[in-house]
Amino acid sequence: MSDIDLNLQIWRQKKSDSPGAFETYALDKISTEMSFLEMLDVLNEKLTKQGLDPVAFDHDCREGICGMCGTVVNGVAHGPEKEVTLCQLHMRNFKDGDTLVIEPFRSRAFPIRKDLLIDRSAFDRIIQSGGYVSVNTGGTPDGNAIPIPAQTAELAMDAAACIGCGACVASCPNGAAMLFTSAKVSQLCLLPQGQTERKQRALDMVATMDKEGFGNCTNERECEAVCPKSISIRNIARLNREYLMAALSEG
Amino acid sequence: MWPIKFISSSIGKKIIMAVSGLLLILFLCTHALGNAAIFVSSHAFQTYANALHSLPVVVLLFGLGLLVILLFHIGFGINLFLQNRAAGGNRYAINTRVVKNSFASKTMPYTGLLILLFIIIHVFGFNNGPADMEVSQLVKEYLSNFFYSLFYIFSFCALALHLSHGFWSMLQTFGINHPRYNNGIAKLTLIVPAFFLVFFGAIALYFMSGLGASY
Ligand code: HEM
Ligand code: FES
Repeated sequence: MSDIDLNLQIWRQKKSDSPGAFETYALDKISTEMSFLEMLDVLNEKLTKQGLDPVAFDHDCREGICGMCGTVVNGVAHGPEKEVTLCQLHMRNFKDGDTLVIEPFRSRAFPIRKDLLIDRSAFDRIIQSGGYVSVNTGGTPDGNAIPIPAQTAELAMDAAACIGCGACVASCPNGAAMLFTSAKVSQLCLLPQGQTERKQRALDMVATMDKEGFGNCTNERECEAVCPKSISIRNIARLNREYLMAALSEG
Repeated sequence: MWPIKFISSSIGKKIIMAVSGLLLILFLCTHALGNAAIFVSSHAFQTYANALHSLPVVVLLFGLGLLVILLFHIGFGINLFLQNRAAGGNRYAINTRVVKNSFASKTMPYTGLLILLFIIIHVFGFNNGPADMEVSQLVKEYLSNFFYSLFYIFSFCALALHLSHGFWSMLQTFGINHPRYNNGIAKLTLIVPAFFLVFFGAIALYFMSGLGASY
């Protein structure tokens, strides 16, 4: 175990419509065993003791499953370690004397509420427009009554691993939400229960995605590279197919 | 109207880019095939050109078709570029690209515009040569000029860069992404641009270097 000294530059913004700016904070003797959010907790304790406004940031489970946390650290969503959320990023990834520039996930569709805290309800509206099964698919079926090939089930599970953190949007040079939307469409279109509404779902969710002000995908692959759940852009290819098929027959 | 809705959607626009890109690649293939006659002899090339122009209606229809395809590709490409700049742009104090080799994808609109500049100069040049000169001689006339050839080679590099992202991107847009084929696709994404660069570049070099002086 060792301690490191850090120089933090954090985006501070009072509310959505106020101008923001970077503030610099020096933080000494941070244990490398700490998580990134614990490091921010230490900073906030210090700020509170000084009578200053603590840095607002989102978090809930702190075990990498809820999708609430996330900031951009030195230009990379969820920081330098692969396949982890910010809460699971540990300070051992940084060196003594490092400068960390900490910014909120930025997107035209994610207004900043305060400091590092953003409003991701645009994602909720994409889900509300089709990310569910609303037809009656009967009561709980007997196990294995509906055979689903193991490979298909695995693909659906891989897509369902998306926690909706928004890192894909934050890292996309175009601010596109294709990885998120494609994961949500994929997890349902692969399974029998999702078939009835399959085409309408693809049409509606893409329409909402476009309306919310996300950009267009140009296959830059940044989303896949920063996704804490390793959602593959194979899902985006699947969404492209789903959307094309749906548009040609029911669009 | 569903076609209007389709081409106004983000994915619809991407599919227009991919379909028009594919058609442009197919055109390049036929263009390369025809131009291969240059390496046989000036006579072979002139015979090919004469055969082509003995069917003026076909030439006109293909030319117009190509123009429409190109206009779609350019129009939608610029529209996507502007929309994406507004939605994304440089919005962080520090912009880090995690993906390696992102140069080609970042420069798509710029390599595209260079290709456009080339197309304008190329088409204008070959349609406005001296009236008494056959096209087989015109090729030599133009490409024996060092700087004219250099500009051609430079443009082919831009095309190769455009396709080194575009070819893979097109297949991804069509929804073709499967572990069984991805290695092959990655190889083709190098081979296809390299082929056009080497083939068209060779024509320019042939005359530039003087090798084709008496072709
Ligand atoms: C012979 C000439 C050309 C060929 C073979 C070609 C081919 C392609 C291909 C295959 C793609 C990938 C489509 C996709 O991502 O689905 C593409 C994308 C693109 N092309 Fe071209 N192109 C050509 C000329 C041009 C020109 C003249 C422009 C002028 C602006 C241009 C601008 C773009 C842009 C901006 C993209 C990226 C679109 C996106 O990913 O959203 N291209 N091109
Ligand atoms: S706080 Fe739940 S994923 Fe990070």
